[in-house]
Amino acid sequence: MDNAPTLESLQATLDAQQAVFQMHQSMNVEVFYWWCTAIMIMIHAGFLAYEMGASRSKNALAAGIKNILALAVIIPTFYLFGWWIYNAFPNGFIPIEAAGALPWAQSMGPDVTDMGTGIFWAAFAMFGATTGSILSGAVIERIRVSAFLILTVFLGSVVWILAGAWGWHPDGWLLTDLGYHDVGASGVVHAVAGFFTLGVLINLGPRVGKFINGVAQTIAPHSLPMTLIGLMMIIFGFFGFLGGCIIFNGGETGWTTIYGNPTNLSAFAFNTLMGFAGGVIGCYIASRDPFWTMSGGLVGIISVAAGLDLYDPELAFIIAVVTGVLAVKFAKLIENFGIDDAVGAVSVHGFTGVWAVFLVGVFADGMPNVGDLPEISLMGQTIGAIVMAAVGFIPGYGISLILKKANALRVPKEAEELGLDEVEIIAKPYPEVNGVPAVTSSDVPNKLANSEPGV
Amino acid sequence: MGTSISSWENVGAYFTFADNPLALGLFTVGAAAIIVGLIISIAKHENEAFEKIEK
Repeated sequence: MDNAPTLESLQATLDAQQAVFQMHQSMNVEVFYWWCTAIMIMIHAGFLAYEMGASRSKNALAAGIKNILALAVIIPTFYLFGWWIYNAFPNGFIPIEAAGALPWAQSMGPDVTDMGTGIFWAAFAMFGATTGSILSGAVIERIRVSAFLILTVFLGSVVWILAGAWGWHPDGWLLTDLGYHDVGASGVVHAVAGFFTLGVLINLGPRVGKFINGVAQTIAPHSLPMTLIGLMMIIFGFFGFLGGCIIFNGGETGWTTIYGNPTNLSAFAFNTLMGFAGGVIGCYIASRDPFWTMSGGLVGIISVAAGLDLYDPELAFIIAVVTGVLAVKFAKLIENFGIDDAVGAVSVHGFTGVWAVFLVGVFADGMPNVGDLPEISLMGQTIGAIVMAAVGFIPGYGISLILKKANALRVPKEAEELGLDEVEIIAKPYPEVNGVPAVTSSDVPNKLANSEPGV
Repeated sequence: MGTSISSWENVGAYFTFADNPLALGLFTVGAAAIIVGLIISIAKHENEAFEKIEK
């Protein structure tokens, strides 16, 4: 009987088990978002292949290096100020206290007691990098890399995350005032990036030869297969992206959306796949074109992402099919206005993102939010969609206009005609022509390029 | 040089210079300067490359 447990010893055992359970729960949260972030890297691998394939061979490496550098500048700038913007601006343009998100804060580095900030920062940085990649594809073959990097820092580390603070934050004014619902970031990522891109394209102008006497010409990608594979890699990466959009809560709460309402990965799985399938079918019906058919997978997922937790899967499928058809029509429409969007980004991301936010208002009008938050409404979603388009378009147009006035936006016509790889990239994408092995004029081993740009 | 802890007991933020706001501020400025410098260097490289084809 001397060894019989006392109430105190039982309580101590229970406390110890509770501590172990909570630690493992926190570790599971980290593990989940770690792998979501890793999978999101596949989005960028996909955009890299997609963009290089969509370029003509004379510009393939210039397109690729631009995309790689976008990732490399968005990550540190998102650390320096992007994460702070998300935490500081949920009310609009007046910042609230968010000292813990500043780059010199103790929570912005290795901290034994903080098992959330780093992993959420990483996932959000990858969302930001996705916006940069969306812009990157549309402007290939004629934008200056320096101008592109300035634009992509604004888009990836300022503009989209300001929209994110408004519409994708528990205290964001679009949620608290209008009941805004956009769980899969159709608005805050895709619509913002797509309309930012439209603003840039207006100032950048079309590629040489895209329009002859006002009639749009086809500039064929140098590797359509690479483009198709790249698009499929993006689809794979979307599972990390959408996984990063759900909140893995501790305690008894389980999964919720970023707005606090209960959901789960099963809900996301139904509608992600049904959206993908519908989008492919819709774009195929409207275009019969391999590039657009594969882009349809993106269109379909984005078209249902805003309401990913809410839709009946068959409705999601139908929405995606219809949006796939409309996205092809929208791409043709903006081309008729003289806009040269090399990869259809404005339509795939901008149009579809805005449309997706609006459709949540159509089909989920009256759906409650948690607590005292306003319910989802057609009016709230319509205003939210307009805000997302404007938040993207206005800075995209404004900053690119300033760069254009400074003659810093576009490469010279001679460079564009010669090809950017030849002019500014000291490597060749395909050095072996007609089976003849490449020769090197460089002293640097394994460098298959002229040592002097333009030679 | 940059250690911010002397023991792992009850430790929180433990990264280098975590207890030195001046150093963290300087690193922030340095990181920002690298991004600005990168973009300037790319713009210079582009200008030089474009000048060569115009000649």
